[in-house]
Amino acid sequence: MRRAACLLVCVWLAGCAPPFDPVARGVADRPTWAMVPDVPLIQQAAFYCGPASLAMVMQWAGSNVTQDEIAALAFSPGAGGTYLADMIGSARRQGQLAVEIGTFDQLLSEVAAGHPVIVFQNLGLGVAPVWHYGVVTGYDFVQDAVYLNSGQRDQMVMPFAVFERTWRRGDHWGLVVLPPDRLPASAPQVDVLNAGAALERVGQYQAAAMLYQTGAARWPDNWLWPFGLANARYGMGDLHGARRALRQARAMDPTIPEVRANLLQVERELAGQVD
Amino acid sequence: MGLLNLTKTGAAIFLSAQLVLATQAVTMAQAEMIGTNAAITKYATHADRSFLLNELQRDDVQAAMIEQGVDPAEAEQRLAALSDAEVATMVQQMQDGSAGADIVGTLFTVFIILLVTDFLCFTRIYNFTRCIR
Repeated sequence: MRRAACLLVCVWLAGCAPPFDPVARGVADRPTWAMVPDVPLIQQAAFYCGPASLAMVMQWAGSNVTQDEIAALAFSPGAGGTYLADMIGSARRQGQLAVEIGTFDQLLSEVAAGHPVIVFQNLGLGVAPVWHYGVVTGYDFVQDAVYLNSGQRDQMVMPFAVFERTWRRGDHWGLVVLPPDRLPASAPQVDVLNAGAALERVGQYQAAAMLYQTGAARWPDNWLWPFGLANARYGMGDLHGARRALRQARAMDPTIPEVRANLLQVERELAGQVD
Repeated sequence: MGLLNLTKTGAAIFLSAQLVLATQAVTMAQAEMIGTNAAITKYATHADRSFLLNELQRDDVQAAMIEQGVDPAEAEQRLAALSDAEVATMVQQMQDGSAGADIVGTLFTVFIILLVTDFLCFTRIYNFTRCIR
Protein backbone atom coordinates (compact mmCIF):
# COMPACT_ATOMS: atom_id res chain seq x y z
CA MET A 1 0.00 0.00 0.00
CA ARG A 2 2.74 2.36 1.03
CA ARG A 3 4.69 1.57 -2.12
CA ALA A 4 1.62 2.04 -4.30
CA ALA A 5 1.07 5.47 -2.78
CA CYS A 6 4.69 6.34 -3.42
CA LEU A 7 4.52 5.28 -7.05
CA LEU A 8 1.39 7.37 -7.60
CA VAL A 9 3.20 10.41 -6.28
CA CYS A 10 6.16 9.70 -8.52
CA VAL A 11 3.99 9.44 -11.60
CA TRP A 12 2.26 12.68 -10.78
CA LEU A 13 5.55 14.48 -10.31
CA ALA A 14 6.95 13.08 -13.54
CA GLY A 15 3.95 14.41 -15.41
CA CYS A 16 4.76 18.03 -14.66
CA ALA A 17 8.56 17.92 -14.47
CA PRO A 18 10.74 19.53 -17.12
CA PRO A 19 13.36 17.26 -18.75
CA PHE A 20 16.74 17.06 -17.06
CA ASP A 21 19.20 19.71 -18.19
CA PRO A 22 22.80 19.01 -17.05
CA VAL A 23 23.94 22.51 -18.11
CA ALA A 24 21.31 24.28 -16.05
CA ARG A 25 22.11 22.02 -13.11
CA GLY A 26 25.77 22.93 -13.34
CA VAL A 27 26.81 19.31 -13.72
CA ALA A 28 27.61 19.37 -17.43
CA ASP A 29 31.20 18.36 -16.67
CA ARG A 30 30.17 14.99 -15.32
CA PRO A 31 30.12 11.91 -17.54
CA THR A 32 26.72 11.54 -19.20
CA TRP A 33 26.42 7.99 -17.88
CA ALA A 34 27.77 6.11 -14.89
CA MET A 35 26.95 2.85 -13.19
CA VAL A 36 28.43 1.23 -10.11
CA PRO A 37 28.50 -2.51 -10.78
CA ASP A 38 27.78 -5.31 -8.30
CA VAL A 39 25.84 -3.45 -5.63
CA PRO A 40 23.61 -6.22 -4.25
CA LEU A 41 19.84 -5.77 -4.19
CA ILE A 42 18.67 -6.50 -0.67
CA GLN A 43 14.98 -6.63 0.03
CA GLN A 44 14.47 -4.62 3.19
CA ALA A 45 12.70 -6.00 6.24
CA ALA A 46 9.85 -3.82 7.52
CA PHE A 47 11.10 -0.27 8.24
CA TYR A 48 14.70 -1.38 7.64
CA CYS A 49 15.44 0.81 4.62
CA GLY A 50 18.33 2.40 6.53
CA PRO A 51 20.06 -0.81 7.66
CA ALA A 52 19.33 -2.45 4.28
CA SER A 53 20.96 0.47 2.45
CA LEU A 54 24.05 0.25 4.63
CA ALA A 55 24.19 -3.53 4.17
CA MET A 56 24.04 -3.14 0.39
CA VAL A 57 26.88 -0.63 0.32
CA MET A 58 29.05 -2.57 2.75
CA GLN A 59 28.45 -5.90 1.02
CA TRP A 60 29.37 -4.22 -2.26
CA ALA A 61 32.68 -3.32 -0.60
CA GLY A 62 33.27 -6.95 0.38
CA SER A 63 31.78 -7.18 3.89
CA ASN A 64 29.23 -9.88 4.68
CA VAL A 65 27.33 -7.86 7.29
CA THR A 66 23.53 -8.27 7.23
CA GLN A 67 20.79 -5.68 7.61
CA ASP A 68 19.83 -7.20 10.96
CA GLU A 69 23.37 -6.80 12.30
CA ILE A 70 23.40 -3.16 11.22
CA ALA A 71 19.90 -2.60 12.57
CA ALA A 72 21.18 -3.61 16.01
CA LEU A 73 23.62 -0.68 15.81
CA ALA A 74 21.43 1.84 14.02
CA PHE A 75 17.69 1.20 14.19
CA SER A 76 15.43 3.03 16.67
CA PRO A 77 12.41 0.77 17.25
CA GLY A 78 10.45 3.51 19.02
CA ALA A 79 10.81 5.83 16.05
CA GLY A 80 10.15 3.06 13.54
CA GLY A 81 13.17 4.17 11.57
CA THR A 82 16.85 4.97 11.49
CA TYR A 83 18.17 8.42 12.33
CA LEU A 84 20.71 10.08 10.03
CA ALA A 85 23.29 10.25 12.80
CA ASP A 86 22.86 6.53 13.49
CA MET A 87 23.43 5.77 9.81
CA ILE A 88 26.80 7.50 10.05
CA GLY A 89 27.65 6.12 13.47
CA SER A 90 26.82 2.51 12.70
CA ALA A 91 28.93 2.57 9.54
CA ARG A 92 31.86 3.87 11.58
CA ARG A 93 31.34 1.31 14.30
CA GLN A 94 31.70 -1.26 11.52
CA GLY A 95 35.09 0.26 10.67
CA GLN A 96 33.94 2.03 7.52
CA LEU A 97 34.77 5.49 6.26
CA ALA A 98 31.49 7.42 6.31
CA VAL A 99 31.33 10.94 4.89
CA GLU A 100 28.22 13.03 4.27
CA ILE A 101 27.64 14.80 0.99
CA GLY A 102 25.02 17.43 0.24
CA THR A 103 24.95 18.42 -3.40
CA PHE A 104 23.85 17.00 -6.71
CA ASP A 105 27.31 17.55 -8.13
CA GLN A 106 28.89 15.56 -5.32
CA LEU A 107 26.40 12.75 -5.82
CA LEU A 108 27.18 12.47 -9.53
CA SER A 109 30.92 12.67 -9.05
CA GLU A 110 30.82 9.90 -6.45
CA VAL A 111 28.79 7.61 -8.69
CA ALA A 112 31.06 8.46 -11.63
CA ALA A 113 34.02 7.51 -9.42
CA GLY A 114 32.41 4.12 -8.84
CA HIS A 115 31.02 4.72 -5.35
CA PRO A 116 27.40 3.94 -4.47
CA VAL A 117 25.79 6.71 -2.41
CA ILE A 118 23.10 6.29 0.27
CA VAL A 119 20.48 9.02 -0.10
CA PHE A 120 17.73 10.16 2.23
CA GLN A 121 14.49 10.84 0.39
CA ASN A 122 10.98 11.89 1.14
CA LEU A 123 9.03 9.82 -1.34
CA GLY A 124 5.79 11.44 -0.21
CA LEU A 125 4.94 15.11 0.10
CA GLY A 126 6.07 17.70 2.60
CA VAL A 127 2.78 17.43 4.48
CA ALA A 128 2.62 13.63 4.26
CA PRO A 129 6.22 12.48 4.32
CA VAL A 130 7.31 8.98 3.40
CA TRP A 131 10.92 8.93 4.56
CA HIS A 132 13.17 6.49 2.83
CA TYR A 133 16.82 5.53 2.40
CA GLY A 134 17.98 4.21 -0.93
CA VAL A 135 21.29 3.62 -2.67
CA VAL A 136 22.08 5.48 -5.88
CA THR A 137 24.03 3.10 -8.09
CA GLY A 138 23.91 4.87 -11.43
CA TYR A 139 22.54 7.63 -13.61
CA ASP A 140 22.05 8.39 -17.27
CA PHE A 141 21.51 11.93 -18.60
CA VAL A 142 20.31 10.73 -21.98
CA GLN A 143 17.78 8.25 -20.58
CA ASP A 144 16.88 10.82 -17.90
CA ALA A 145 17.28 8.15 -15.25
CA VAL A 146 18.65 7.76 -11.74
CA TYR A 147 19.14 4.11 -10.76
CA LEU A 148 18.54 3.11 -7.15
CA ASN A 149 18.72 0.00 -5.06
CA SER A 150 15.81 0.99 -2.94
CA GLY A 151 15.07 -1.91 -0.64
CA GLN A 152 13.00 -3.78 -3.20
CA ARG A 153 13.68 -6.88 -5.22
CA ASP A 154 14.11 -4.86 -8.41
CA GLN A 155 16.20 -1.86 -9.26
CA MET A 156 14.27 1.40 -9.10
CA VAL A 157 14.56 3.88 -11.95
CA MET A 158 13.56 7.51 -11.39
CA PRO A 159 13.59 10.46 -13.78
CA PHE A 160 16.08 13.09 -12.60
CA ALA A 161 13.38 15.62 -11.75
CA VAL A 162 11.54 13.15 -9.53
CA PHE A 163 14.69 12.01 -7.85
CA GLU A 164 15.79 15.59 -7.30
CA ARG A 165 12.50 16.52 -5.65
CA THR A 166 12.40 13.51 -3.39
CA TRP A 167 16.03 14.09 -2.44
CA ARG A 168 15.57 17.82 -1.91
CA ARG A 169 12.80 17.07 0.57
CA GLY A 170 15.39 14.98 2.38
CA ASP A 171 17.64 18.06 2.47
CA HIS A 172 20.03 16.57 -0.11
CA TRP A 173 21.44 14.28 2.54
CA GLY A 174 23.80 11.71 1.10
CA LEU A 175 26.29 9.34 2.68
CA VAL A 176 29.36 7.82 1.08
CA VAL A 177 30.40 4.65 2.91
CA LEU A 178 33.68 3.13 1.81
CA PRO A 179 36.31 0.80 3.22
CA PRO A 180 39.06 2.97 4.71
CA ASP A 181 41.53 2.19 1.92
CA ARG A 182 39.37 4.17 -0.51
CA LEU A 183 38.53 7.87 -0.50
CA PRO A 184 35.40 9.72 -1.59
CA ALA A 185 35.85 11.62 -4.84
CA SER A 186 34.00 14.75 -3.81
CA ALA A 187 34.52 15.20 -0.07
CA PRO A 188 36.90 17.89 1.16
CA GLN A 189 40.01 16.82 2.99
CA VAL A 190 38.82 18.09 6.36
CA ASP A 191 35.68 15.92 6.19
CA VAL A 192 37.80 12.84 5.61
CA LEU A 193 40.12 13.81 8.46
CA ASN A 194 37.14 14.23 10.77
CA ALA A 195 35.81 10.84 9.70
CA GLY A 196 39.18 9.38 10.70
CA ALA A 197 39.03 11.04 14.10
CA ALA A 198 35.51 9.64 14.53
CA LEU A 199 36.82 6.13 13.82
CA GLU A 200 39.34 6.65 16.60
CA ARG A 201 36.56 7.73 18.96
CA VAL A 202 34.67 4.48 18.45
CA GLY A 203 37.84 2.46 18.95
CA GLN A 204 38.24 1.45 15.29
CA TYR A 205 41.95 2.18 15.39
CA GLN A 206 42.86 -0.26 12.63
CA ALA A 207 40.38 1.36 10.25
CA ALA A 208 41.46 4.85 11.33
CA ALA A 209 45.12 4.02 10.72
CA MET A 210 44.29 2.66 7.27
CA LEU A 211 42.29 5.79 6.46
CA TYR A 212 45.08 8.12 7.62
CA GLN A 213 47.56 6.25 5.42
CA THR A 214 45.19 6.46 2.46
CA GLY A 215 44.69 10.17 3.09
CA ALA A 216 48.42 10.74 3.40
CA ALA A 217 48.90 9.24 -0.06
CA ARG A 218 46.28 11.55 -1.55
CA TRP A 219 47.27 14.73 0.34
CA PRO A 220 50.99 14.20 0.97
CA ASP A 221 51.62 17.78 2.14
CA ASN A 222 49.42 17.70 5.22
CA TRP A 223 51.06 16.62 8.50
CA LEU A 224 47.64 15.99 10.07
CA TRP A 225 47.54 12.60 8.32
CA PRO A 226 50.67 11.15 9.97
CA PHE A 227 49.60 12.93 13.17
CA GLY A 228 46.29 11.06 13.11
CA LEU A 229 48.08 7.86 12.14
CA ALA A 230 50.25 8.22 15.23
CA ASN A 231 47.20 8.61 17.45
CA ALA A 232 45.52 5.57 15.88
CA ARG A 233 48.67 3.49 16.39
CA TYR A 234 48.99 4.80 19.93
CA GLY A 235 45.39 3.70 20.48
CA MET A 236 46.38 0.20 19.37
CA GLY A 237 49.36 0.26 21.73
CA ASP A 238 51.88 0.47 18.88
CA LEU A 239 54.24 3.02 20.39
CA HIS A 240 57.05 2.44 17.89
CA GLY A 241 54.66 2.90 14.99
CA ALA A 242 53.29 6.05 16.60
CA ARG A 243 56.82 7.42 16.95
CA ARG A 244 57.59 6.72 13.29
CA ALA A 245 54.43 8.53 12.19
CA LEU A 246 55.11 11.51 14.48
CA ARG A 247 58.68 11.82 13.22
CA GLN A 248 57.28 11.88 9.73
CA ALA A 249 54.80 14.60 10.73
CA ARG A 250 57.61 16.58 12.34
CA ALA A 251 59.72 16.30 9.19
CA MET A 252 56.82 17.73 7.19
CA ASP A 253 56.40 20.70 9.52
CA PRO A 254 58.84 21.10 12.42
CA THR A 255 56.95 24.08 13.87
CA ILE A 256 53.80 22.34 15.09
CA PRO A 257 53.75 22.16 18.91
CA GLU A 258 51.13 19.39 18.97
CA VAL A 259 53.37 17.12 16.93
CA ARG A 260 56.32 17.72 19.21
CA ALA A 261 54.26 17.32 22.35
CA ASN A 262 52.91 13.97 21.22
CA LEU A 263 56.31 12.82 20.02
CA LEU A 264 57.76 13.73 23.38
CA GLN A 265 54.98 11.86 25.13
CA VAL A 266 55.53 8.73 23.04
CA GLU A 267 59.27 8.88 23.58
CA ARG A 268 58.83 9.23 27.31
CA GLU A 269 56.54 6.24 27.38
CA LEU A 270 58.98 4.27 25.27
CA ALA A 271 61.76 5.17 27.66
CA GLY A 272 59.62 3.82 30.47
CA GLN A 273 59.51 7.13 32.25
CA VAL A 274 55.76 7.09 32.41
CA ASP A 275 53.94 4.27 34.09
CA MET B 1 62.24 38.82 53.63
CA GLY B 2 65.38 37.48 52.03
CA LEU B 3 63.77 34.12 51.82
CA LEU B 4 60.70 35.67 50.14
CA ASN B 5 62.92 37.41 47.56
CA LEU B 6 64.71 34.19 46.91
CA THR B 7 61.39 32.46 46.41
CA LYS B 8 60.28 35.20 44.03
CA THR B 9 63.47 34.88 42.01
CA GLY B 10 63.08 31.16 41.97
CA ALA B 11 59.49 31.48 40.85
CA ALA B 12 60.49 33.92 38.12
CA ILE B 13 63.17 31.59 36.81
CA PHE B 14 60.81 28.67 37.02
CA LEU B 15 58.05 30.54 35.16
CA SER B 16 60.45 31.77 32.47
CA ALA B 17 61.67 28.25 31.98
CA GLN B 18 58.06 27.12 31.74
CA LEU B 19 57.39 29.76 29.09
CA VAL B 20 60.36 28.63 27.01
CA LEU B 21 59.33 25.02 27.30
CA ALA B 22 55.75 25.88 26.49
CA THR B 23 56.78 27.29 23.12
CA GLN B 24 58.55 24.05 22.35
CA ALA B 25 55.84 21.73 23.45
CA VAL B 26 52.29 22.77 24.09
CA THR B 27 52.43 21.90 27.75
CA MET B 28 54.99 19.75 29.39
CA ALA B 29 52.63 19.12 32.24
CA GLN B 30 50.14 17.12 30.26
CA ALA B 31 50.70 13.42 30.37
CA GLU B 32 48.49 12.30 27.53
CA MET B 33 48.37 12.53 23.78
CA ILE B 34 46.72 15.45 22.03
CA GLY B 35 43.79 14.06 20.07
CA THR B 36 43.49 14.14 16.31
CA ASN B 37 40.19 15.99 16.59
CA ALA B 38 41.71 18.90 18.50
CA ALA B 39 44.47 19.25 15.92
CA ILE B 40 42.02 19.14 13.02
CA THR B 41 39.87 21.83 14.63
CA LYS B 42 42.89 24.03 15.18
CA TYR B 43 44.66 23.54 11.85
CA ALA B 44 42.24 22.39 9.18
CA THR B 45 40.95 25.88 8.44
CA HIS B 46 44.49 26.81 7.47
CA ALA B 47 44.28 23.97 5.02
CA ASP B 48 41.14 25.58 3.59
CA ARG B 49 42.95 28.87 3.18
CA SER B 50 46.02 27.41 1.54
CA PHE B 51 43.74 25.38 -0.71
CA LEU B 52 42.08 28.57 -1.94
CA LEU B 53 45.43 30.34 -2.26
CA ASN B 54 46.82 27.47 -4.30
CA GLU B 55 43.80 27.59 -6.55
CA LEU B 56 44.36 31.31 -7.06
CA GLN B 57 47.93 30.57 -8.18
CA ARG B 58 46.82 28.40 -11.05
CA ASP B 59 47.68 29.87 -14.46
CA ASP B 60 44.28 29.24 -15.95
CA VAL B 61 42.55 30.85 -12.99
CA GLN B 62 44.85 33.88 -13.12
CA ALA B 63 44.28 34.23 -16.85
CA ALA B 64 40.54 34.04 -16.31
CA MET B 65 40.65 36.65 -13.57
CA ILE B 66 42.67 39.06 -15.74
CA GLU B 67 40.26 38.50 -18.57
CA GLN B 68 37.46 39.57 -16.23
CA GLY B 69 39.37 42.65 -15.15
CA VAL B 70 40.28 41.29 -11.72
CA ASP B 71 43.82 41.72 -10.44
CA PRO B 72 44.94 38.31 -9.05
CA ALA B 73 47.00 40.05 -6.37
CA GLU B 74 43.88 41.87 -5.23
CA ALA B 75 42.01 38.58 -4.98
CA GLU B 76 44.77 37.24 -2.72
CA GLN B 77 44.63 40.35 -0.57
CA ARG B 78 40.92 39.92 -0.12
CA LEU B 79 41.32 36.29 0.76
CA ALA B 80 43.97 37.23 3.33
CA ALA B 81 41.54 39.73 4.85
CA LEU B 82 39.07 37.00 5.78
CA SER B 83 39.13 35.25 9.13
CA ASP B 84 39.62 31.50 9.40
CA ALA B 85 35.96 31.10 10.22
CA GLU B 86 34.94 33.09 7.15
CA VAL B 87 37.26 31.07 4.96
CA ALA B 88 35.83 27.86 6.40
CA THR B 89 32.30 29.11 5.76
CA MET B 90 33.21 30.00 2.22
CA VAL B 91 34.76 26.66 1.46
CA GLN B 92 31.66 25.10 2.97
CA GLN B 93 29.45 27.24 0.75
CA MET B 94 31.55 26.32 -2.25
CA GLN B 95 30.97 22.71 -1.44
CA ASP B 96 27.27 23.23 -0.86
CA GLY B 97 26.98 25.26 -4.02
CA SER B 98 24.29 27.11 -2.10
CA ALA B 99 25.90 30.53 -1.74
CA GLY B 100 23.15 32.89 -2.73
CA ALA B 101 22.90 36.51 -3.83
CA ASP B 102 22.42 37.73 -0.25
CA ILE B 103 25.96 36.70 0.58
CA VAL B 104 27.32 38.93 -2.15
CA GLY B 105 25.33 41.78 -0.63
CA THR B 106 26.50 41.30 2.92
CA LEU B 107 30.10 40.32 2.36
CA PHE B 108 31.55 41.98 -0.71
CA THR B 109 34.93 40.33 -0.37
CA VAL B 110 33.38 37.01 -1.12
CA PHE B 111 32.48 38.27 -4.56
CA ILE B 112 35.93 37.67 -5.94
CA ILE B 113 36.16 34.27 -4.40
CA LEU B 114 32.83 33.17 -5.75
CA LEU B 115 33.89 34.49 -9.13
CA VAL B 116 36.97 32.35 -8.95
CA THR B 117 35.08 29.34 -7.74
CA ASP B 118 32.64 29.79 -10.59
CA PHE B 119 35.55 29.53 -12.97
CA LEU B 120 36.70 26.44 -11.16
CA CYS B 121 33.25 24.94 -11.58
CA PHE B 122 32.71 24.69 -7.82
CA THR B 123 29.87 27.17 -7.93
CA ARG B 124 27.54 28.73 -10.43
CA ILE B 125 26.65 32.07 -8.92
CA TYR B 126 27.17 34.49 -11.78
CA ASN B 127 25.61 34.21 -15.19
CA PHE B 128 28.52 35.77 -17.02
CA THR B 129 31.12 33.24 -15.89
CA ARG B 130 32.19 30.27 -17.91
CA CYS B 131 33.49 27.09 -16.36
CA ILE B 132 37.16 26.55 -17.16
CA ARG B 133 37.54 22.83 -16.87
